[in-house]
Amino acid sequence: MEKPLERVMEEILNTTDVFGCVFADHQGLCLGVKGRASTESAGVIGAIAEEASKLEPNSRPPVIVLESENKMCIIQRNGTITGAIYKLI
Amino acid sequence: MDRIAGQTGYLILNEEGAVVSSAGDLENDEKTAETIMGLVNITSMVDQKAFGSDESFKKISLTYENHCYIICLSNRRIHVVKKNLDKLAVNA
Repeated sequence: MEKPLERVMEEILNTTDVFGCVFADHQGLCLGVKGRASTESAGVIGAIAEEASKLEPNSRPPVIVLESENKMCIIQRNGTITGAIYKLI
Repeated sequence: MDRIAGQTGYLILNEEGAVVSSAGDLENDEKTAETIMGLVNITSMVDQKAFGSDESFKKISLTYENHCYIICLSNRRIHVVKKNLDKLAVNA
């Protein structure tokens, strides 16, 4: 499983303006991290996805976008895995 | 708030998370207010390596298939707007 995830993360990081990505499992444990991102953030990413899913429990999990002055963090849960991509605006 | 194109409801919360004003789909929606406060509170803990401790988020959006919630902090109030996405660009 690690090999395909590694490849996916490599692909994500090669996208324009992306500078980091993190993947967490359903417990918020880090599955993988690449670029300017920390393994410790996996828990927070998982918690944000969990909290957001409470808003409309019967809908598919939303795409969560957090925007600061010049960066953005895009989070989405898919099944048991939560992914976060860090991008420059 | 009423004049925002495509909006189906809004919430204005104070810093404690209490509903100050609301309308439409989100009228007196305490449950949504509570979830949004929870979300706003954890966002301050997102990756320090990527975003730094002095950098704060100005806008949060939650996008579903046909609608979205946009959350903004302004004038010590949390503004939440629920919008329909039909015929609108996703990041409008």
